Amino acid sequence: MPARKRLNSFGFVFRPMKRTGKQVWESLIVGKPNTVLYPYHKLNLPPTYRGKHTLDFKKCIGCANCVQICPNDCMWMEKIEDPELGKIERPGIDMGRCLFCGLCVEVCPTVALHETVEFELASSDRGKIKFSAKELRDDSYADKVVEERQKRAVPVLDLGKCTGCEKCAGECPEMCIAMMPVESVGKLKPEIALPKCTACEKCVVACPEKALTMKDMYESYFEMPEPKFILKNCTGCNACAKACPADAIYMMEMPGTERILKDGKKSKPKKRAVFVLEKCVGCGKCFRACKFQSIEMPGVKK
Amino acid sequence: MNLFTFSYGIIHWLVDLINHLWYWLGDVLPWQFGDFFDAVGEFAASDGHITVMAILVEVLIIVIIALVNVLNFIWIDRKFMGRMFDFYGPYYVGYRIGGWLQNLADGIKLFVKEIITPAKADKLGFLLGPIIFVGSSFLALSTIPLGRDFGISTNASGAGVPGSALIAFAFFAIAPFSILICGWSSNNKYTLIGGLRSAAQMMSYEIPMLLTVASVFLMAGSFNFMEIVDAQHDVWFAIPLFLGFVIFLICLVAEVEIQPFDLPEAEAELVEGWTTEYCGMRFGLFMMTSYLRGYIGGALATALFLGGWHGPALIPDPIWFLIKAYIVFVIIEWMRWSVPRVRVDQLLNIGWKRLMPLAMLNLLIAASLKTLGWF
Repeated sequence: MPARKRLNSFGFVFRPMKRTGKQVWESLIVGKPNTVLYPYHKLNLPPTYRGKHTLDFKKCIGCANCVQICPNDCMWMEKIEDPELGKIERPGIDMGRCLFCGLCVEVCPTVALHETVEFELASSDRGKIKFSAKELRDDSYADKVVEERQKRAVPVLDLGKCTGCEKCAGECPEMCIAMMPVESVGKLKPEIALPKCTACEKCVVACPEKALTMKDMYESYFEMPEPKFILKNCTGCNACAKACPADAIYMMEMPGTERILKDGKKSKPKKRAVFVLEKCVGCGKCFRACKFQSIEMPGVKK
Repeated sequence: MNLFTFSYGIIHWLVDLINHLWYWLGDVLPWQFGDFFDAVGEFAASDGHITVMAILVEVLIIVIIALVNVLNFIWIDRKFMGRMFDFYGPYYVGYRIGGWLQNLADGIKLFVKEIITPAKADKLGFLLGPIIFVGSSFLALSTIPLGRDFGISTNASGAGVPGSALIAFAFFAIAPFSILICGWSSNNKYTLIGGLRSAAQMMSYEIPMLLTVASVFLMAGSFNFMEIVDAQHDVWFAIPLFLGFVIFLICLVAEVEIQPFDLPEAEAELVEGWTTEYCGMRFGLFMMTSYLRGYIGGALATALFLGGWHGPALIPDPIWFLIKAYIVFVIIEWMRWSVPRVRVDQLLNIGWKRLMPLAMLNLLIAASLKTLGWF
């Protein structure tokens, strides 16, 4: 370390005065002081600040992935009767237990949940920092945020409309649509290899039934567990299709399973669940809804 | 028309007005009181009485101006210090005028507080100390004119008081004794150390300061503020006697007892030194008076070195004077919040080994300039 330059008595006076004068220049004439008068002025927080959550009710599908991933167990699903959206399930948050890790925001498959820059959550009443879903609702917020997650348009299949005509597979220039037979149904279902897809929309144009639509999907930070279907246990009870928040499960009739009833008429054929895995968000609701061990989902708690 | 004739006129007019009422009352009341009424009315209308009352009005005007300046000074000090340390300074009280009312709010708070005298304190000294401190500081204000026609020391002729500068310095130098009295009578080790430090400090700064002032007297050829300022009509004394001006500023800082020479009330070592035992408005008076002394110091530097009220005629004389005093004060405050406190032995070294020879040199320069006939 070099020896410090020895100051004479003028240096002792004028060097500090020069420094403080510079500070006055910076804080009085050019700009403002560094401190912020908190309740009156507020800092411009960065948009990635983790504060109180907002929830876009229209984007949220009620998959409860946020509740699943929450490490402090501070979120819960509420059943709400909404005049516009009908019967829905939406998460509520207890801010008193929240550790603002942001996992719920990252895991949200439709980017409906966001953390705002609002940090003034203190309250004299513990009940007031428990926010129900309706208090979190802000349908306009999600459009304003610049989302860091990559968004890409992806053709999404509505299996109810699909007739298995193979036109989409023939049209696809990347050869990423393969027609796969659905076991014991006797129909073909297009399966789209999403990594190859370039979103050229040719399959959407080609589809005569308009079963394919382009939809914005967000890239996930997490590896999503996929449901494994065991056909032999399925009774066709429709519970998984009802439970699925992303409409990825369709019930299809299996021809050749009709039984002859006592009055001689044929009953309706047995049904089975068919999964469109492009839509699946990996929430495990079907796995929990199924009472016959027909669906397995490794990595998801019952 | 100067301040004296102005206040003389006001008092004369008031006395006339009241005398009308008074004589009318004498006529209305029974006749036995007539002589008494006449005598009182004649006394009120006499020249001596009106002169005394006019001087009182002058004092009132000057003191009010000084007190308003003190409020400004405290505000400037706190705001400037705040910006220097990168925070806002006073802000809420008087939001629209930059927190200016904060001083008044603090004053009110200090008024409401209880005044406590320590049980083992010397009661008389404890009471007398603040009185001498505040009174001598106000007396030092008495002879400093703000303009040719604006000051207590002006009289009907406008010539000012002979020897007014000497009187100002004499009153200005009383304060260390009152500090010693306060420190001694409080019966507290910190206050005692503070008071004795004040006495030791006084020895170091008073002599160089008076030597530089003597050089000014030599250049101007007078002890009168009026003539000293008039002698600077062409050239301010700060230019030929720049060395003296710097020495005077340093000594002024020591005289006013602000950092780096605030040894008697060193917050860090002596817990506010000689003011430790004082609370409530007594402390408020000390605080106010220390800034008043800052104002007096700025005024003295202005009158002796910076050409007093001389300046372009665009701005009135007293305003010129105040602007210069404010600039001196701001420079002193700038130094105050930049420089650390010196030790007692360092202060004595500075006073006796550095400033004293330089002040002698400055006196020699002034004498040679005067001998050469340049002034």
